[in-house]
Amino acid sequence: MLFTWLMLAGFILLIAPSGWTNSFQFAFLRIFDWPLSIGENISLSVRARRRVQNTDVVSRKQYRELLNYCANVEASLRQERQKVEKLSRLRDKFPLGNARLIGALVYPAPIDRSHGEVIIDKGKDHQLAEGQFVLAENSIIGTVSDVSSGGARVKLFTNPASAVGVEIAGTKRLMHGAGGNLAKIPMMKYKPRIGTEVLAARKAGFLSVPMIVGKVHHCQRNRESAVLWDIIVEPVCDIEELNDVTVIVMNPQK
Amino acid sequence: MRWFRFAVLILFVTVLQASVLANLNISPDLLLILLVFFCIYCSSTDAIITSFAIGFAADLISSPGLPMPMGPQMISFGLFGTLLAHLRRVISIRKMPYQALVIFSTALLAGGLAYFLAFLKGQTITANIWTVLLGVSIYSAIVGPFLFLPSAWWMHIRINRFARR
Repeated sequence: MLFTWLMLAGFILLIAPSGWTNSFQFAFLRIFDWPLSIGENISLSVRARRRVQNTDVVSRKQYRELLNYCANVEASLRQERQKVEKLSRLRDKFPLGNARLIGALVYPAPIDRSHGEVIIDKGKDHQLAEGQFVLAENSIIGTVSDVSSGGARVKLFTNPASAVGVEIAGTKRLMHGAGGNLAKIPMMKYKPRIGTEVLAARKAGFLSVPMIVGKVHHCQRNRESAVLWDIIVEPVCDIEELNDVTVIVMNPQK
Repeated sequence: MRWFRFAVLILFVTVLQASVLANLNISPDLLLILLVFFCIYCSSTDAIITSFAIGFAADLISSPGLPMPMGPQMISFGLFGTLLAHLRRVISIRKMPYQALVIFSTALLAGGLAYFLAFLKGQTITANIWTVLLGVSIYSAIVGPFLFLPSAWWMHIRINRFARR
């Protein structure tokens, strides 16, 4: 009987409007406000002291910041490793002596590449100077023509204003840019085969070993002398797809 | 049964539960431990009254981990306290492991019923409620048997006087 009455009281409390029954809870909180606040203060002070003492713990916000910072550093590290790997492969392939290889990113088409120039993100700060040879896809693509502190302009060998000493079939010649992604070696006595490799000739202080520049695209008779040939050379790398290059600094300052 | 001592004890534990233990993510349910204590060591009539009274106190301070309306815990504590008081006539619950087991199962069942009744009244149930309930049950089961001795001392109850009837 007692159980029934008490259970009934419970159900009355349950189905009664919350606004009415909540007054019991508020009354309890009002009456026991002082001991409740003391207890909460004790609890909070213990937790705060524990939080201060535990120096190994950081806030969630700080943890996320550190995590993101680590991700950025790791991405940067991966990029640098790739650079090192690429440059060391290059060094293994060619006997460049004590030359320093400086990797640089090509700015995305600030100047039309068909005009024969690209701009890179390394400059005087990285010991770049005019005349230094620039590599891409293991081939010479041009020389540094203009240097500022934070960047440099690379004149491609296809630029009409460019003239690069080259070797073709054992003969040293001068190759001029012809525009339209082509270059020309004028007045050759004999006609080389199509696809013959054209190498950049050694140049004191700039290039210690011949390196490929392009291949013979086609040959045409010289306009002034019918017995001589003009050799048209095309690059062996895709200039349009150029994203990064390597500058050869022969005598780096330490 | 010393009702004045009972009232003081319940008030003290209620305040303790609502203040010091309220800031913990998962804390032992001291009121539920007292419910089991009184159901084990008091007569059936006293056990029924104490169960409903403790349930009412639990409703006043809401449940650990979930704000409750008035009523659900009074009903669930009263129901399972009465059942436990009747069960004690058949099964002896004197050893600490058994007491821990009884506290654990009572916490799970009473808590589950209280949340269900609160849900029926329109209370939103949070997703981690079962984790909280399980945590409270385990915590209470571990701590509970050790609190029986000071509770018995305060209530002037000899805890080894009840044998199987």
